[in-house]
Amino acid sequence: MISSYYFGAIALVLIGLYAVLVKKNLLKILIGLSIMETGVNLLLISIGYVSGRSAPILSEGIGPNQAVDPIPQALVLTAIVIGVATTAMALSVAIILYEKYGTLNIEEIRRLRG
Amino acid sequence: MNELLLAVIFSPLVAGFLAWLFNVKGIREGIGVIGALIPLIGLIKLYPSLGQGVSYTITVGGFKLGFMMSHLNWIFSMIAAVVGVSAILGMVSTAKDGYEWLFALMSLTGALGIFTAQDLVVFFIFWEIMTFASFMMVLKFNRAASLKYFLLSIMGAYAMLVAIGLIYAKTGSFSFSDISAFFGKEAVSTMLGGTPAFSKLDVALIYLLFLLAFGVKAGMFPLHVWAPDAYSETDQSYTAIFSGVLSKAGVYGFILLYILMYGKLLIDLGQVRSAPAFGYVIAFLGGLTIIVGGILAALQEDIRRLFAYSSISQVGYILVGLGIGTSLGIEAAIYHAISHALFKGLFFLIVATLIYRTGKTEFKDFGGLAEKMPFTFTMAFIAILSLAGIPPLVGFASKWLIFEAVISQNLPILGGMVFFGSAIGFVYLIRFTYAVWFGQRPSDIEDTKDAPLPLAIGMAILGTLNVVFGVAPGIIAKELNAIFGRTVIGGNIWELELGFGRYNALLVTIWLVIGLLIAGILYFLGASTRKVPVTDTYQSGNPVTMDYNLTIRRNFFLPLKEAVAFWLRISFDKLYRDVWKSIEDFAETARNYIYNGNVQAYAWYLAIILLILAAMGV
Repeated sequence: MISSYYFGAIALVLIGLYAVLVKKNLLKILIGLSIMETGVNLLLISIGYVSGRSAPILSEGIGPNQAVDPIPQALVLTAIVIGVATTAMALSVAIILYEKYGTLNIEEIRRLRG
Repeated sequence: MNELLLAVIFSPLVAGFLAWLFNVKGIREGIGVIGALIPLIGLIKLYPSLGQGVSYTITVGGFKLGFMMSHLNWIFSMIAAVVGVSAILGMVSTAKDGYEWLFALMSLTGALGIFTAQDLVVFFIFWEIMTFASFMMVLKFNRAASLKYFLLSIMGAYAMLVAIGLIYAKTGSFSFSDISAFFGKEAVSTMLGGTPAFSKLDVALIYLLFLLAFGVKAGMFPLHVWAPDAYSETDQSYTAIFSGVLSKAGVYGFILLYILMYGKLLIDLGQVRSAPAFGYVIAFLGGLTIIVGGILAALQEDIRRLFAYSSISQVGYILVGLGIGTSLGIEAAIYHAISHALFKGLFFLIVATLIYRTGKTEFKDFGGLAEKMPFTFTMAFIAILSLAGIPPLVGFASKWLIFEAVISQNLPILGGMVFFGSAIGFVYLIRFTYAVWFGQRPSDIEDTKDAPLPLAIGMAILGTLNVVFGVAPGIIAKELNAIFGRTVIGGNIWELELGFGRYNALLVTIWLVIGLLIAGILYFLGASTRKVPVTDTYQSGNPVTMDYNLTIRRNFFLPLKEAVAFWLRISFDKLYRDVWKSIEDFAETARNYIYNGNVQAYAWYLAIILLILAAMGV
């Protein structure tokens, strides 16, 4: 039986992928990318989860053996930052595209570009 | 003694580099000639110790590169050395800078390395050195011709590499002797009904790959298309090496095929009439090469291209002789390889002289040069007689042997091709004889001088050998018999004796000289001659003026061209070009379709590939 965390995370990735592949509006594609990114982050976190353990902060009464895997969390922290950065950059590109072409439909933009 | 072998192989390369470094007129010529002379001297010195087996092994980074010298290697190396020296002497006059010296000498090293290689790795390395060097030589003069040459050569080289890989995978050795022994055992076990390591399909594949590799180098039909362009678009002195020596590398490759896997090929591929099937394919393609090369040579308007096609045609004879596969056939083929190198090298040096002195390449610009260039004309006369196969010259002896080999094996189709080739040989030589040497002389080549000294020496070496080996054909026959270790071609030094036919060159020479003496006596005693100037000849009652161009110089074989017009439209050159074009078009279409510039399409590709990977369980 597949874990519901995995199922949910992969479902989010697929929803994002669907938006990227099919939607024609640039902003919707960017939303799709964002959703995909969230899905990937969730998947990474859920890989490191060990049932019944606490957060990986060493303190009174919690040794290395009582914590969940800390590596995916570090990884995801990085991935979130990268994701935000790329989204911000993509949005700024979208603004420029709109200023230049007056539309956000990617097929229209391709046609206008010639 | 064995270190001498190393000097023989590498001295041209070293000399080439030195000539390139000290790129000063005078010095580089001296170095180059010395570098080409060392192999010749070394080979002559090595001759007495051939019986003991000369070999040398270099170890490079753990790899052993083996060279050896037996009678067969010696004969082919000698071809390379003699033609090499003559052509390099010719280059003293015609070469313009160190670049040409470097690559001409490098290709000589490549050929010598091929002819002395002891294993397939060395064979392949030197094969590539030779290809590279000759490519660079053509590249300097004509880009398109060099690329065509390079493309076909590289295809052949890859084919050879695959074949070598297939052989190595099962025999575990690159050495000729090991492979030969392995295939010998294979043949016996196949005959006794055992399960061989190489299936019939494997053997056929290896054979086809080698056929492609060696066929390209030898200029075998239909892989000959590079040769007319490459031979004509380079330094003509260098073409003497190109046509005389480098095409022999392909021939040597076919002989190697016999040495390595004769029994196995014979048993697996069967026989056609009295010849082995694999040899018959080579011989048949050789026959087609003779006909196609010969007819195309007759139709050329450019002197260089005529001899390029003629060279292709003559290599066809060698392939026919090889393909028959009897010991007589192989000896005849090697004999013709020697005489082809001698007269073809001479021809290209003559062409080099003509172009050097007049700067013209087309038949229509030549005429009446026999008076102005008596020495070159003498050499051309020897070369023409030798190529056409007129008795007291070496070309007759070798062609006669090939005819006898074909006839004795009862192969009528090949016989017909060979005889036709001889006839067509006359057709294009007559053209060369009249259009260049006789008839009216155009006024702009009125003050042509004879050959410069180095070119004259180079021509003299080859011309003398043409006559010497022609009058005494037994000298070569004795060496050829040493390859097989028994008397295949009998007779003494003046006479060839096959058991069912004999050719006494000395007798022919004596009768010829007597005939010439009688003719000379009659001429000087009886004939009242006067010199007829061109303005004193008439055509339809009108005096022929100096600027009137004789028909023989332009489109002389127009009727022949019209007769074979239908076949001329079938051009393999064009076919290859079309195939190449359609590949290019297909690739262009596919690229436009796949890289369509639509971001979502790329996202789809990504998704589909991920899906496929997931389905495969990666």
